[in-house]
Amino acid sequence: MRQVALNTHISGRFNIELENLRNSVMAMGGEVEQQLADTLKAIATNNPGLAETVILNDLKINSMEIQIDEECLRIIAKRHPTASDLRLIMIISKAITDIERMGDEIERIARLVTKQKLPTDVAIKSSMLSIGQQAAAMMRGTFDAFARLDEEAALEVYDQDNSIDSEYKKLLSYTADEMSRSGDSMEDWLEILWALRSLERIGDRCKNICEYVVSLTSGRDVRHTPLENLQQTLDNLSDS
Amino acid sequence: MLKLFEREQLNLAKLPEAQTAIEVRDLCLRFGDKHVLHNITMRIPKNRITALIGQSGCGKSTLISCFNRMNDLIDNSVTEGEIIIDGRNINRKKENLSILRSQVGMVFQRPNPFPMSIYDNVCYGLRLQGIKQRRQLDDAVERALIEAALWDEVKDRLFESATTLSGGQQQRLVIARALALKPSILLLDEPTSALDPLTTLIIEELMAELKKRCTIVIVTHNMQQASRVSDYTAFLHQGELVEYSDSDTLFTLPEKKQTEDYITGRYG
Repeated sequence: MRQVALNTHISGRFNIELENLRNSVMAMGGEVEQQLADTLKAIATNNPGLAETVILNDLKINSMEIQIDEECLRIIAKRHPTASDLRLIMIISKAITDIERMGDEIERIARLVTKQKLPTDVAIKSSMLSIGQQAAAMMRGTFDAFARLDEEAALEVYDQDNSIDSEYKKLLSYTADEMSRSGDSMEDWLEILWALRSLERIGDRCKNICEYVVSLTSGRDVRHTPLENLQQTLDNLSDS
Repeated sequence: MLKLFEREQLNLAKLPEAQTAIEVRDLCLRFGDKHVLHNITMRIPKNRITALIGQSGCGKSTLISCFNRMNDLIDNSVTEGEIIIDGRNINRKKENLSILRSQVGMVFQRPNPFPMSIYDNVCYGLRLQGIKQRRQLDDAVERALIEAALWDEVKDRLFESATTLSGGQQQRLVIARALALKPSILLLDEPTSALDPLTTLIIEELMAELKKRCTIVIVTHNMQQASRVSDYTAFLHQGELVEYSDSDTLFTLPEKKQTEDYITGRYG
């Protein structure tokens, strides 16, 4: 496995700055992870109070994004990072955008609970929770791979998105059937559809972050590469 | 596919002769028993800026000095291998050094104008070549000073002493002195390390302009400078050429770990 050593610079202060930067991304990730867990709990127990806290907490995540971005800019301006250091800072700057968007998706789902628009159909609700659990597991794996800058772990997590996507598609067609049969207002159904879409998007955002980890360690931009080709590219790199 | 950003990436190992300004083949150099350069082989492309980077004592300045045989001036120096400039091996015994040094100009770390007027400084080399006609000298001085981006600042005081100029102006004067001889290669050995950041930028701008006319090889300790100005960069470590590629690649995705450690400031 290719490794990126972060704390081996001659400048001890640069080591500390990079370490703090990475820790703050982990802290931001931890917040979003908690937000998703709370939202799923709020859905399962139909708890609008908890969902309200999630919505308020999103402001904290937004502020973290701004602070980390400012720190990235400061380090670029003052330290002139090159090679893997520069890639690390660039991927952090991109990853926090994805993490912040995950926060927004979670907030949208939480609003379903505060507006009392949770699906009445038990099958839809339980499938929704199941996708939510998968997204939460994927998120955990993503941040774990990021913390260790572990390319192999990132690839494993990357693959999990397929299962979320297929379950989402199934749920979507089931929901469409229910919609046509039910007498509930279209507005309510749209809220549910948006929330489902948001859950699915969390998986995509995790996938993006996994791609950043791979591009940091391998030095190749692997965005928009199917998994099989990605593995092949990385194998070729290892061989060369 | 749509290409938004065009980048030149010459294949340095297979650079055609027409595009090569300096070809170094198995160059070894020692001062007495001390081996300073080991088997350096590289091709420096024409009309480009090539930077040599590496720790103090890695042999960058020694390498650049080989390109106009300045190392001959050091006792006990033994050079092996070939350096091909303009189709001939300049390391051969019968090489005419004064012709070589007018063809391959050199500028050092500290500005070193001669204690004479600005005008006399610029035409010093031409006079050595036997040119005496006033009009010819006037034209050459004006052209060289314009090329060195110094003309506007000194045109009214050409006969004042060169030592009255500021550091940045003196450095440009020294560049003009080299340019007056119409060199095909200009060697710059840390040309801005004694200058302030803004004057440094003026010299860097000048380099970008000059590369249209000649090939530039620059030794610098300032890595940001190397990445800013150079098209190609060679990293030397303990007298060996570790990595040599286009600067975009070397500063973003170096192939060798040693290079990565050096440019990111890690323990090597």
